[in-house]
Amino acid sequence: MTETGRPEALLPLALFMALMLGVSCFVRWQTRTGEGGFLRQYFVGNRDLGGFVLAMTTVATYSSVSSFVGGPGMAWSVGFGWIYMAVVQVTAVFLVLGIFGKRVALLARKFNAVTVVDILRRRFRSDALAAMAAFIIVLFFCATMTAQFVGGAKLFAAVTGYSYEAGLLLFGLAVVAYTTIGGFRAVAITDALCAIMMMIGIVLLFNYVLDAGDGYATIMNHIATNEPKMLEPFSGGDMPAGLYLTQWILVGICTIALPQSVVRGISYRDTKSLHRAMIIGTVVVGFMNIGVNFTGILAHGVLTGPAASYGGIDNIIPSTIATVMPPWLIGLAIVGPISASISTISSLLLVGSSAIVKDVYLHYRESHGETASDASLRRLSMVVTAALGAAVFLIALTPPSLIWLINMFAFGGLETAFFWTLLFGLFWRRANRLGAFLSMGGGTFIYCLAQGLGFKIMGLHQITIGISLSLVLFLVGSFLGKSEPDEVLREFFPE
Amino acid sequence: MTEKEKYRQVCREAAATGVALLLLIVFWLFAGFGLAGSSSTIFHLPLWAAASTVGVWIFAIALVWALTKWVFRDMDLEEESHD
Repeated sequence: MTETGRPEALLPLALFMALMLGVSCFVRWQTRTGEGGFLRQYFVGNRDLGGFVLAMTTVATYSSVSSFVGGPGMAWSVGFGWIYMAVVQVTAVFLVLGIFGKRVALLARKFNAVTVVDILRRRFRSDALAAMAAFIIVLFFCATMTAQFVGGAKLFAAVTGYSYEAGLLLFGLAVVAYTTIGGFRAVAITDALCAIMMMIGIVLLFNYVLDAGDGYATIMNHIATNEPKMLEPFSGGDMPAGLYLTQWILVGICTIALPQSVVRGISYRDTKSLHRAMIIGTVVVGFMNIGVNFTGILAHGVLTGPAASYGGIDNIIPSTIATVMPPWLIGLAIVGPISASISTISSLLLVGSSAIVKDVYLHYRESHGETASDASLRRLSMVVTAALGAAVFLIALTPPSLIWLINMFAFGGLETAFFWTLLFGLFWRRANRLGAFLSMGGGTFIYCLAQGLGFKIMGLHQITIGISLSLVLFLVGSFLGKSEPDEVLREFFPE
Repeated sequence: MTEKEKYRQVCREAAATGVALLLLIVFWLFAGFGLAGSSSTIFHLPLWAAASTVGVWIFAIALVWALTKWVFRDMDLEEESHD
């Protein structure tokens, strides 16, 4: 394969990846004493995150490469309705931390839990439920990680001129390596650096787009004259009311149940950090969502042809970067979107690995009366993390088609599985094992089935089917089945 | 705080976060669809486009600030107090 890219477009990303690896090795060295036990150190960073890092890692994990490429491309096409819809994501940090943050922090300390599945197993006294939860996590996480790899590598290829495979090798191997080496603490710190790079990338692109389009007023006048529907909330029918509704559910309210977000509730130091993180996180997530999509709209001042002439919606942002940025800055401009991709992958990789090591393997050993030494857990955790990363990396080398749809599919699946199970499980005494089992298993199965068959109700995304059915199933199970025994309820509901 | 007090406080905070969500949804509806008919502009934007994006963001920050100031309480997360 001939490479036609310029080395200077590669340099900033290569340096950034080296920095990530350096941070990870430093964290590894710093935590070599293994205070609090290896698993707690590796999977939740010994519960020691401060407010700023907690906010940044929650935002960075949540923001994916599609927030930086597909999303603003749609904003370019649809207009302000798209930002109006995207802004519902300001809930993504404060809802999960406000509702679950302290609840899981207290419970995790009480039971010495390091995963969300640990807490569910304890609440519903069910190994089968825990195994199902771990399976769902690994399955949907692999799908999401593949989508992130593919999205990042495609953007890399489009902007730098190097091949898709070269991009994947450069950042893909680095993210698997630094996650494996440094564990949760490294993931949290690198996530924070990624979030900062995302914001710098947005500000840079925003400024260059304004410049290239002869200033803000000129661009807005151009839009008002040529594309008036971009200034209407329904965008002349391109933004139906149903889309607003499903986005509130899919990327707003139900995100509180995403295991990769909830586990962050186990990882912070004290309640001051949590409160600070809720504010900082809301500021940052709003800044990113509005900033990046607004930039997409303003790109109208630069890309004035129809979307097809740039190779479709997903190519709008890569084309904009290549058009407006000076060549020496292009390398820096792609660090932002690639950061969005790797910061999601690192967190999912670690939670996926904890599901296999802690929730399945270690539990199996312990239930057979065996104990595992810290050294063997260390080896196993690293091997599983690396293997999971390598597997996803290989799938991404020959990407399945329609990869962009996978991200939202996985979001919906995880939300269907965990929303009611976590919400009712942690806040409702009557919630029982049968309800959780039906809700998680039945709801997720039907959601996947509806997705597979392309079945929709009133044209709405299948999350509406998944989340309503899992609610009904939970209630049916809870009223038909037996209550959990008093000793469990006393642990969870001390009154 | 005793364990029981902590549990009650955590439930209160979760419920208040839910109320904040409802307020945000109401504001979001008003700022976007509610103001869509207005013909006034601000920074070359229709009023609704500014209020429903930057406005919603600022409103959300204010809500979270209010939550952490007036509803959320600091507590020791370790299990040391007894009923």
